[in-house]
Order: sequence, then C-alpha cells, then structure tokens
Amino acid sequence: MREAWLAGLLMAAALSTPGMAWAEIGRIKTVVGSASVVRGKAVTPAAPGVLLQVSDVLQTGKDGRIGLTFIDNSRFSVGPNSRVALTQFEFDDTTHKGSSLTTIDRGSLGVVSGQIAKENKDAMRVRTPTSLLAARGTKFVVEVKQ
Amino acid sequence: MRLGLTVVATAALVAGCASQTVALLPNEGGKGAGAVAVLDPETGAERGEIATADTEASVAGKGALKAKAVNAKKPWFGDLAARVPYPPQTYVLYFYEGTSDITTESEPILAALKAAVNANSEVQITGHTDTVGSADANDRLSLKRAEDIRALLVTDGLPVGNSKVTGRGERELMVKTPDNTDEQANRRVEIVLRY
Repeated sequence: MREAWLAGLLMAAALSTPGMAWAEIGRIKTVVGSASVVRGKAVTPAAPGVLLQVSDVLQTGKDGRIGLTFIDNSRFSVGPNSRVALTQFEFDDTTHKGSSLTTIDRGSLGVVSGQIAKENKDAMRVRTPTSLLAARGTKFVVEVKQ
Repeated sequence: MRLGLTVVATAALVAGCASQTVALLPNEGGKGAGAVAVLDPETGAERGEIATADTEASVAGKGALKAKAVNAKKPWFGDLAARVPYPPQTYVLYFYEGTSDITTESEPILAALKAAVNANSEVQITGHTDTVGSADANDRLSLKRAEDIRALLVTDGLPVGNSKVTGRGERELMVKTPDNTDEQANRRVEIVLRY
C-alpha cells in the first residue's frame, strides 16, 4: 500500500519533469579563441558539440568566436568581446510553430534565420540594449558597442 | 540574472555612447535578401525595416531608421557573416514496398551521406512509409527503416550511435495519396546533418 503510494508519487514526479527538464535547442559547431557558456552560476568552456538550452549565455573574449546551429535550422556566429543570451526558444518539430528571443548586451552577432522566422511572422527576435529586431528574412549582422 | 542585465543596461546609459548597428546581407546563394524590422522594445511599434541587401542602419535612437550602404570593401562586421555554420544538409533514401531495404537508386545517396558524416556531425534520422497497411504497422515500419539506416552507418564505423531516430509512419507523406496506395516517394528515410 505504502509502496504503491510512493511509486505513484515517484511516477508523478517523473511525468512532471519533462516540462521542467532541459531540452536541447541547439549545438555549438565551431569555437575559436576564448569562449564560454554560462548556465546559471556554472561557466564552462565552449566546444564543438556542446548542447545548448534556454537561458544559456554565450561569452567570448577578445580573440573568441562561436558558431552555433539551432534545432529550427537557424544559425548564429558570435563575434569577439560578446555577450549573447539565448533568452527564449520554443520550436515544435512537427508543426514548425515556435518563437525565439536572443539578447545581445555587447559585441557582435551574425544571424541566418530558420524555420521559426519562415513559419511565424516576427517570431524570431533579437534584442539590443535599446531596440528589438524581428527577422523577416535570412541573413543579418548586429553590433553593440559601448 | 535580471539585476545583472539591469546593471549592464544602466552602465551603457551612463557611458552614453552605446552604438548599435544592424546590416542586412544578401541571402545565401546570393539571390535577393530578406528584411529586418526594427521595433520599439516597449510598444512593439515598428520603427522601420531594413529591406535592401548590403545596407545598414543605426538602431540606437528612437526615430525613423536611416539606412545607408555598407562599405563593401571593408565592412565593419568583418567575416562575422562568413563564420555562420554551414546550412544543414538533408539526404533522402527510398525503400522497396514493405521493407527496410533501400532502392538501388538510393545507393549513391547513402554513399554521399557516409562521406559527409564526421565526429562533429549532429545527425537526425526520420523514417516514413506510404499508406499501404495499418497506421500502427506503418509506425513500426518507419521506425525500423530509420533504425536500420542508423545501424548501417554504425556498422560502417560512423559516430551516429546517439543520433536522434524517429518513425513518423504515414503522417508526413511527400506525395499526398489516398489510403492503401503504393507510392515510392513516400517510403523514405530523411537524414538531416547539422555540421
């Protein structure tokens, strides 16, 4: 009886985790120089193959660069001296519905948009310190200097 | 986290000279360009759109956008755009009716796929069927097709043992057909490679 109750509780916990557990939204493909991924308080070196999740922050030093690809096939190139946060990202593999918000605090970012921008108007957004950009096509670059 | 961002934003305001520039580039393959809309972050109102390839605009202010041509000889963004990862590649293999045997015509595509996969490849393998047979049987067959292709690559020593494998049954027909229709184009496995 008691075991059954406990099992039920554990099962409920297991079933409720997927929503909260991390989901892969993209992967790092290329890294040059000093570059890291900040996740909460943990800072790990950026490396090809590293899986990314929502809220990760990409940071590069003065010689650093990162190339990454998202699951909707959009792609980023992060330039030197940059800080770029993957603030929000949702994508349904089957329907291709989704939205994303990337925040660039400093540095430079090259963007090629993917399925999210193709299927949902103004759903792929990039925030700079004072403006909000909506991707309506494929390729653009942003620079924030302080 | 939020506090950190506020501090950064405030520091930029105090410095007072934050410059923010956006440039639109030609589409990959060189045909035309998309567009970037610039919105007011508070109201969402559109301030303007950069819609011509190789033009740039400052987005730091509040007023209307002033787009101008990018200095093509020495662009401020250097090779940032060239360093965006390669676009994902899709390979499609076709199958004989009711089997997970690929067609003779698909052999060269399988060979090209094997040549393209490397240690850094991110591989996604999705199986599909035509509408012959029950939906359940087709779910199983599509998954078997995808798993067999992965096994084939693994046997060849390719590092795809952890790749994502899905069977979509008859849900995603390449060519729309009625139920119980033999259609070669629908019996397929799609392999997406993200480098």
